Amino acid sequence: MMIIITAALFATVLGALLALVIGATARAFAVETDTRVETITEMLPGVNCGGCGYAGCADFAKAVVEGRTIPSQCPVSTSVHITRIAEYLGITAGEKEKVFAVIHCGGSCTVTVRSPYNGVGDCRSAALVAGGAKGCDFGCIGFASCARACPFDAIEMRDGLAVVHPELCVGCGKCVDTCPKNLITLAPAAVDVHVYCSSPEKGPVKLKVCKAACIACRKCVKAADSETQMTVNGFLVATNYSNPPLPDLVEKAACPTKALRLATKHAAGAYEGVSK
Amino acid sequence: MSNNILAITVGAILVNNFVLSKILGICPFLGVSKKLETALGMSGAVIFVMTLSSLVMALIDKYVLSQTFMLAGTVIKLRFLEILIFIVVIAALVQVVEIILQKFSPPLYKALGIFLPLITTNCAVLGAAELNVKAGRGIIESTIFGTCSAIGFALALILFSSLRERLDLAKVPAPFQGTAIALITAGILAMVFMGFSGLV
Amino acid sequence: MSDRPRKFKGGVHPEDSKALSASKPVQTAPLLAKYTVIVHQNIGAPPEIVVKKGDLVKKGQLLAKASGFVSVPLHAPTSGTVTAIEKNPGPACVSVPSIEITADGKDEWGSPFEPIADWQNTDPAVLKQRVVDAGIVGMGGAGFPSHVKLSPTKPVDTLILNGAECEPYLTADHRLMVEQTEDVLLGAAILARILGLKTAVIGVEANKPDAISKLNAFASNYNVMVKELRVNYPQGAEKQLIYALTGREVPIGGLPMDVGCVVQNVASAVAVVEAVIKGHPSIERITTVTGEPLVNPGNWRFRIGTPISKALELAGGVKVQPAKLLLGGPMMGFAQNSLDVTVMKNTSGILLIPVEQVSQYTAQPCIRCGRCVEACPMDILPATISQAVENERFDWAEQLNVAACIECGSCSYVCPSHRPLNQHFKRAKAEILAAKRKQQKK
Repeated sequence: MMIIITAALFATVLGALLALVIGATARAFAVETDTRVETITEMLPGVNCGGCGYAGCADFAKAVVEGRTIPSQCPVSTSVHITRIAEYLGITAGEKEKVFAVIHCGGSCTVTVRSPYNGVGDCRSAALVAGGAKGCDFGCIGFASCARACPFDAIEMRDGLAVVHPELCVGCGKCVDTCPKNLITLAPAAVDVHVYCSSPEKGPVKLKVCKAACIACRKCVKAADSETQMTVNGFLVATNYSNPPLPDLVEKAACPTKALRLATKHAAGAYEGVSK
Repeated sequence: MSNNILAITVGAILVNNFVLSKILGICPFLGVSKKLETALGMSGAVIFVMTLSSLVMALIDKYVLSQTFMLAGTVIKLRFLEILIFIVVIAALVQVVEIILQKFSPPLYKALGIFLPLITTNCAVLGAAELNVKAGRGIIESTIFGTCSAIGFALALILFSSLRERLDLAKVPAPFQGTAIALITAGILAMVFMGFSGLV
Repeated sequence: MSDRPRKFKGGVHPEDSKALSASKPVQTAPLLAKYTVIVHQNIGAPPEIVVKKGDLVKKGQLLAKASGFVSVPLHAPTSGTVTAIEKNPGPACVSVPSIEITADGKDEWGSPFEPIADWQNTDPAVLKQRVVDAGIVGMGGAGFPSHVKLSPTKPVDTLILNGAECEPYLTADHRLMVEQTEDVLLGAAILARILGLKTAVIGVEANKPDAISKLNAFASNYNVMVKELRVNYPQGAEKQLIYALTGREVPIGGLPMDVGCVVQNVASAVAVVEAVIKGHPSIERITTVTGEPLVNPGNWRFRIGTPISKALELAGGVKVQPAKLLLGGPMMGFAQNSLDVTVMKNTSGILLIPVEQVSQYTAQPCIRCGRCVEACPMDILPATISQAVENERFDWAEQLNVAACIECGSCSYVCPSHRPLNQHFKRAKAEILAAKRKQQKK
């Protein structure tokens, strides 16, 4: 009986002493934490792709709480995510245009001239050796660095050419930084007509190395509804994303090298093989 | 006395290394050793906890648990409270470490994550205290044993995390990737430390 | 300076294959109908073009002027008309601006320089200005503007002439030293005067005994010391050459002038003689056209702007289909994908490699054998750096001093797993530089 009482007493005293120690430490070294940052980090999709421009979802959450950015900056978040976060913080969700990546090159292995290459199978490394193994100095090298960088597996390598699947792409922009030839731009998701060539060389020079090059014949410029829908820059034509043409332009213009394509059909492989 | 101290030191750090010879404290050994910075942080925390807990436990052991009390005619021996008391003290110390770490190094606190409170159930800490009791060491020697065991733990952890950082770069065959190759490496490291046996 | 040249750490011993062309005297290429001169022929800023299409030019006339301190002018290789200024395949397999000159057949000199006969009493600054104006670059292959090396910002006490020619197959410098021995030594003396020195030392690898004996015969007349070097690739690399001859170690990230040395290639020295004594700008060089697939390997004096296709024709064409065409040597040369590339001031060799010597390998993982570490002359760790690069850990690669790499290719040469180590380091250096630029922009 006495043993039980003594033991209980001792344990209680020890417990109380330790509790005092812990309490004093907690008081002395108190830390202010904003729990909102953690909650919002949980609310985000959590891919850590960096598409928002911040170093990961936790960093983005901190920026949102501090008011440095708006929830819709996150390209991966759906409207459900964004409204939840906005409601939690009591702010407006904000608008952000949906974009997707376009790789402006149609130079697959069948249509381009290539040299045998035996080195590191990575675009950024290959670009340091002779600018890559393809005849065109400006085209897609084809070693899938962008496909590997994509956190959403939206880029497929088809016959040595990188192709973006618009329905999978969220526009995070990781591929843009990876491409050593700077072929990738982020275009508005609503636009489907793009020019799949980035070489500024003269038409005949381009055709010698790639059958799918844009030769700046201007057929698409003339066939467009308005003069400004397709812009010409030297020997290269590009879609004007502020005043884009309608998808029927591809059929109307009948591009002789099939450099003018619809992104959705390009992703489905409709432009394999070129008529020239 | 000094010979004894040297024997304790070398014994605890090298010959009877807690992680690699006694196989105690494996949880943080595998869980925190992916990066050198977290390994260093964990080592610091463990050294602090083990030193203090060894000291406190040695005191409690000498003045409470080993004593025989006479109360109201009954002979009372409190040896049976040993494990309970030890765990409670360790838990309190770990809580203190957590609070201080969260204040002074939030990134390390986040990096260690769940493994920080797991020091409480780390058998290495409890093991050190138990071994002290079993060996009947004095207060100072117990504390030294505690510190040196923790230094041995830190040594194993730092070596292993450096190895794992290098392993990360290598092309490990698919069946061995991840924990498998880490455990094989730990085994080889343990074999290496066997070379110290007979030193003390 | 001790007598016996030291052995630098590391290095490899590839078969030197110089017998194909070592004993062949230099032949001068005939005048061509057209020369396509690449504008950017130096490390540093490209020169600014001063002619336009349709201009008539004389041999040695200025085509492009230097655009800054680290830049050199470009001169016409023959007299004729500028028929085009457009892009042409360059040595890095990317099209580069070039000036096409259609020769008028008269090959008339129109050089703007006066010969300086009495160089011994001429102001060194005037001599250096002549080096600038003549467009002389490092002709060992680097193409670094020579006048920049001749303007050291730290005190210099040793002038070293690089006659090592450590790359296998190449024999251009060898023939130069045998056939124009006194020009080489005179060049050394003029360079020494520009630097304010009384003597110079020339290092020659032991596989060129005829060059060494010829140099020894005349060296004392020009106050030049001749030193025989061990045959060890890359003996001709600046830092290794300095160490072998003087025992001084250039610090990592440093330059030869940090240890009081200036290194110049023997061909650059001869170019200085041409510029000072004869008043001719740099428009031609000796190039070794070699390789087992060639009918007639040899050494040729080509003018800049000579197409490679023409060079191969002069060498008799090929007897078997080669696997690769390199500009430079087999260790550090650049593979080409077009025969329209033209000879530049730093084209030391045109090399054809037969099929059996090119291994179409697949790179295997690193087996940590350490052969590359033994071979590396710069004392860095190729194995670990390449693993870091494969995992895109460029921060780690930077910590491991990848910036010290001279890209000599010794590590790739010895790797039993056929890993493309040199390419990994090029990538690491490019990524580190890009990251620094991004950091600076912020």
